[in-house]
Amino acid sequence: MAAALTPRLDGLFGALADPTRRAIIEQLLAAGELSVGDVAAPFAISAQAISRHLQVLERAGLIERRIERQWRFVRVRADALEPVESWITRHRRHWTAALDRLEALAAAQTPRRRKS
Amino acid sequence: MSDVVSEATLRLERLIPSPPELLFALWTEPAQLVRWWAPEGYEASVDDLDTRPGGRWRVTMRRTDGGVVVTSGIYRIVEPPRRLVFTWAWEDESGARGHETEVVVSFEAAPGGTRVVLLQRRFESKQARDNHTVGWSSAFDRLTKIVG
Repeated sequence: MAAALTPRLDGLFGALADPTRRAIIEQLLAAGELSVGDVAAPFAISAQAISRHLQVLERAGLIERRIERQWRFVRVRADALEPVESWITRHRRHWTAALDRLEALAAAQTPRRRKS
Repeated sequence: MSDVVSEATLRLERLIPSPPELLFALWTEPAQLVRWWAPEGYEASVDDLDTRPGGRWRVTMRRTDGGVVVTSGIYRIVEPPRRLVFTWAWEDESGARGHETEVVVSFEAAPGGTRVVLLQRRFESKQARDNHTVGWSSAFDRLTKIVG
């Protein structure tokens, strides 16, 4: 029921749990596409550390890379949030139906309880 | 409460014409819970339901044709009849738990019954939550806008 989406979803939530990686995503959303050097510029951490963050974001399906001559570019993937959206849709449907059943059962029990 | 709302990935609210005490009992008494937890065509049975903070809950839903779906978690906050907080995940056939989330259900007395609010959000460690509450939501909103 839920298993197929889980690894990607965990990776995605995990990737976004880190403030530096969130800042990288914000930056890419504002700029569209950036070279790896431009991504690293605002941060006071090593190029190696930036590269590791980019790897995590790429593995999570949040960003994609493009190589043009000697330059490497990164950008946010268009379908980045699809797993989160499916998760929300599926759970909204689940809980809406569950609350319908809860409400019907509560209605059946309410008059009796109120009289007692 | 506003932190909880801004962090939520899913929020449902409705006014139910029944008292909070009854609704809380429907969530926390096994004999009541099995009567509404499972969708049509499934039969629910409670494997565990220990409503002390830290206590386990686990509900198995069996379809008439043999399919089985399990949900389980741990109660974190239990405040009868106002609030219930528990972790929540699907389990697969091997018992492995899927993506873990936190569910907050609150029951607030209101004219004509009870306002029930259900929040389900991604679960992360308390430390991560304390460090990253600010910022995650705005990043998420912007991401949603750009890909939506």
